[in-house]
This record gives sequence, C-alpha cells and structure tokens, in this order.
Amino acid sequence: MPKKSMRDALREALHEEMERDDSIIVLGEDVITHGGPYAVTRGIDEKFPGRIRQTPISEAGIVGTALGAALCGMRPVAEVMYVDFATCAMDEVVNQMAKVRYMFGGQTDVPVVLRLPSGSARLLAAQHSQCLEAWFLHVPGLQVVVPSTAYDAKGLLKTALRGKDPVLFMEYKRLYTNECEVPDEDYAIPFGQADVKREGRDVTIVATGPMVPKALEAADLLSPEGIEVEVVDTRTLVPFDKATVFASVGKTNRAIVTDEEVKRGGTSAEIASLIAEECFDALDAPVKRVAAAEVPMPFSPELEKLVVPKTEHLVAAARELVG
Amino acid sequence: MATRTLLEAIREALHLELGADERVILLGEDIGREGGVFRVTEGLQACYGRARVMDAPIAEAGIVGMAVGMAIAGLRPVPEIQFMGFLYPAFDQIISHVARMRNRSRGRFTCPLVVRVPYGGGIHPPEHHSESTEAMLVHTPGLQVVVPATPYDAKGLLISAIRSPDPVIFLEPKRIYRAVRQDIPEECYTVPIGEARLVREGTDVTVIAWGSMMHTVLQAAESLDASGISPEILDLRTLSPMDVPAIIASVEKTGRAVVVHEAARTAGLGAEIVAQINEKALLSLEAPVERVSGFDTVFPLPQLEKYYLPTPEMIEAAVHRVLAF
Repeated sequence: MPKKSMRDALREALHEEMERDDSIIVLGEDVITHGGPYAVTRGIDEKFPGRIRQTPISEAGIVGTALGAALCGMRPVAEVMYVDFATCAMDEVVNQMAKVRYMFGGQTDVPVVLRLPSGSARLLAAQHSQCLEAWFLHVPGLQVVVPSTAYDAKGLLKTALRGKDPVLFMEYKRLYTNECEVPDEDYAIPFGQADVKREGRDVTIVATGPMVPKALEAADLLSPEGIEVEVVDTRTLVPFDKATVFASVGKTNRAIVTDEEVKRGGTSAEIASLIAEECFDALDAPVKRVAAAEVPMPFSPELEKLVVPKTEHLVAAARELVG
Repeated sequence: MATRTLLEAIREALHLELGADERVILLGEDIGREGGVFRVTEGLQACYGRARVMDAPIAEAGIVGMAVGMAIAGLRPVPEIQFMGFLYPAFDQIISHVARMRNRSRGRFTCPLVVRVPYGGGIHPPEHHSESTEAMLVHTPGLQVVVPATPYDAKGLLISAIRSPDPVIFLEPKRIYRAVRQDIPEECYTVPIGEARLVREGTDVTVIAWGSMMHTVLQAAESLDASGISPEILDLRTLSPMDVPAIIASVEKTGRAVVVHEAARTAGLGAEIVAQINEKALLSLEAPVERVSGFDTVFPLPQLEKYYLPTPEMIEAAVHRVLAF
C-alpha cells in the first residue's frame, strides 16, 4: 500500500468526493493561490474549475456563505485558515449552522464541512496555535472530528462529505506531514468509532489528534519497564464512542486522558468525567489529564515547549498511575 | 441596610462606581435612554450624561472592541451585551484581544473592563436568548468569569470587577433579576473574586451550583431536609478563577457530590468540576459525582423550556442516587 502524508490523504479525499458528487464546492482564503495555508486544496481549481472560490478575508462571510449554499442544496467545504479565526465566525457557527436544523423543524439538511487547521506548529503564537474542540463539543448540533493519521483523515473526511449535518473537521498542523499507508481506493470511516491504536493491559491513554503519536511513543518507552499501555484514539469527539473507551478502562483500571487543548474546561475534562461517572468501580486510581498549560500560546520557542504537552508527561503520568 | 432585588443591586453598584470614579463608562445597546433591555441601567444616563452612559449601535463586536480601546487607554468601560447568545459576534474581540492584551503586550497594557451579560434560560424568549455558555469563557486563559446568585454578591462582586486591573465577564442570572430580594448595605462594599460561598453546611452530600441554579438547589434542599438528608451547598460565585480548594474541602467532608448547571452537559463546566474532584478527592468519594445539567440539544423554544432546565426534582433524584450508590 502506498504511503501518504495527511495533507495528501485529505487532498485525495476531496478530489475523489468532488468527482463523485457535483454538489461539493470548496471555499476559503487563498484556497486557489496557495492551496490554502497548508496546500490541502492545491489542484482543485485545475481539475474542477468553477467549484472552488477564493474568498475575501472574512471568516463570518465564509461560514455564512457556506451555510447558505448548504441550505440551497450544495455541499460546501469551507476552510477557515486557522481554527483561531473561527472566533470571527462564532455567530454563524453557533447561532446559525448548529441550530438551523432545529429552528426550522428539520426542513432542510445542513451538510457543511468546516476544515479547521488547529494546534501548535512552530512559533505561531497565541492567535494561530489554539485548539478549540471543547467549545464546539459544548454546542449541540455540531459534529467534531479530529483525525490523528493520514489513513483516518481520508476515511473520516469522506464520511463528513456524505453526511447531512455540519462537521467541524480539526486538522492538526503538526500532523499534516506525518505519513502512513493509505489505500488509493475509496473507503469511509464511520463517525463515533474510536480506534485502539495499541493494545495493553496496564493503563489506558485516551488520546486525541496530535497526542496520539505521543501516546504511542510513550507506550514504546514504557513497554521495556513492563508497563503495557493501551492507546485509544477518539477520532470523533461528537459523536463520542463511550463503549470503546469504557471497555478499555474496564480492562486496565487506570486512565490518562490527553489532548493539546488548555486543560481547564477542555475535552479531557469531559472524557475524564465520563470515565469517573461510568467506570467508578473499575478505577484503581484517579483519572489523570495531560493537556496544555492554562495560558495563551507564547511566541517564544522555549516557552512554547513548556506549554504543549509532551511524551514525557504521558510517561510520567503512566508511571505514577501504575506505581 | 436596604432591600434590593438582584437587578437593583447591580444598578446600585454601577451608580456608586460611576459616582466614585470618572473613568467608569457604560456602553451598550439601549442602555442609555431606554435604561437597558432589562432596565438595569435605568436612570444612569440622566444622572451621568450621554458621554458616560452611551447608547451603542447593534454591533456587539463594535461594543466590545470599543471597550478594549477605552480600557487600554486608561478608562474603565463596562459594556453590556443584551443576551449571552449575542456574545458570539464579539468572540474575536473577547478571546483574541480582551483575554490576551496583558499577555501580548508583556504587561505593558492591561484590559480592565467588565462585560455584563444577562445569561441563562427561563424567561420564555425566542432562540439565541437563553444561552449559558460559561464553560467556553472559563476555557479561555486570561478571563475572569463571575456569576452572582444573590443581591449582596451581585453588588459586591460587580464593584470588585470594576476595580479589577484585568477583564471580567460578569454573567447576570436574568431569570432571578427580580425574583430574589435581600437586605444589603447601601454603601460601597466588595466581595472578593475567586471565593466560593458556603451557603449552608451539611453532612451527607455537597451540592455545587452558581447563578440562577442556586435557587433551584435551595428548593431541592428544602425537600431533602424533610426527608432527613443534609446537603452542604456551595455557590461558586466565581467560575474563573475557580475556588477548587473550597470544593475539595467540602467533598472530603461529605464524600459525595452533585454538580448542577443549566448549560448543555457535554463539555459544560460540570465536566471540569467532576474531573477536579476525581483528581483531588477520589479516595474520599463514596459514589461517582453526579452532573445535573441541561440536555445536549439546542435550547428549546418557550413551550419546552421547562423540560430543558434542571428542576428541584432532578437535583433531589441525583442526590438520592449518590446516597444510594
């Protein structure tokens, strides 16, 4: 099977789906000139002329236009350059996109996919490095997807493009160049199915997006010490696959929940709470959260390193839980 | 002492601070001539003039953005956003500017403003008018988030907020604006930001809530008393910074906890509180912590509202579940 980067896998999913379905259109800032800030939409203009629009710098306009197009029967894929700029489109996302099916009694589908490059990369500072999943988890009506591998990215984007309701598709910038085997042919990964990326018996790490490769690294480091880590990749946060997570914690009796978001009020709080509520009797130790420090992302490279959660934090947390 | 509703207590705090500090400026939609959508600012423009109590166009991003400029230039603006659902158009201002000004300018500028936001459901409005999205704000580093539940706290916390060197989102429980009365001092006083209030001591279970839900909790407590159950009740008052030590101290004593909020359950603030309790007090827990919350649906239109908001009966049932575990 060929190896592909997440960026290429996403592009492949877009091309294949646009070929299959004429109603799919793409819009966003610089999506033609540069193929977007991370070149995911490169080549679409040549292959599907007229079906990709380069917009002014106005996120409220981009999301509002995408929503209108969806209500009129199109399937827009809107790129917001950085998830941070979704703050400029919050009214459209929360008050309109998430609520429109409910407010109009289900008269129309709302098949919008918002692609949102997320997370720290290198020195992008406070307004280009955020992880905002927790906000959107808290907004009923939105589906939230966070792929961690190229394979998952392609399969999940296909499902997003075939659905009837809005999807916030979080693309972690650090993962764009990560490669893995990705089939050339068509496949889709259903929402609501977590993936056990590694089996283990001693401690479960429930990881999201960029923390999945770090959890796998931690597992490699801990195995020689006799600590076998099970790594569960959530893949989609809404809908959330409780069954896989609870089954794993039921087996290992210890859990670490990790994501790159600000810890206070982040997704890890919700998942840790669910585990504490539903697996109370199975737990041999408190659920640990490993997430980002509670500060805006600093510009200084040394400070950035201190804020973003690392493999060694997971290793330390696992040792504490097992010890 | 004088008897005040929560709404009157807020107005009194604004009145006193406008009088005491000429840097304090109010701005918002209809707050001047009309006295605000809930009449919180009634009479203040007549008293302090249009330059200090300013009517703004319907543009939340503009209102908060203007307040940011005023704040870094040395004023103490207190913008009002009519309903919490209208905070979204101003999210970029709040998240990217209000919350970060001190950090981005390496402490050269602070952003001392207070965004007053009537929040929550229960008044039978149309869509977008019943939001309770405090969890989003608590997740944002750099913001203080305050929610009073009594007239005394509303006045004292608002005065603290206006005097704070850093931004405060001041959430006002609009459902109980006029429903709660209390004798409070007429003069200036402050209630410190960051301290929970132990509403009543108890031995069997800790019930944690804030804002308008406090009163639903107190109703539940009456029935629980009648059945011989003694709940300890904690009003968080400030959600960020959160008084985690007060929560942990109480849970260590009672061994059981129920968290109540009206926001949607998933990724609501209850999740953070449950996670904190489990991290810091797991060995004291006799039962899993229960969350009583709104549902993971869009806040419904008026006829379904009563099925969405937590009721005293739902809180009592949760208390019975943690006691029976």
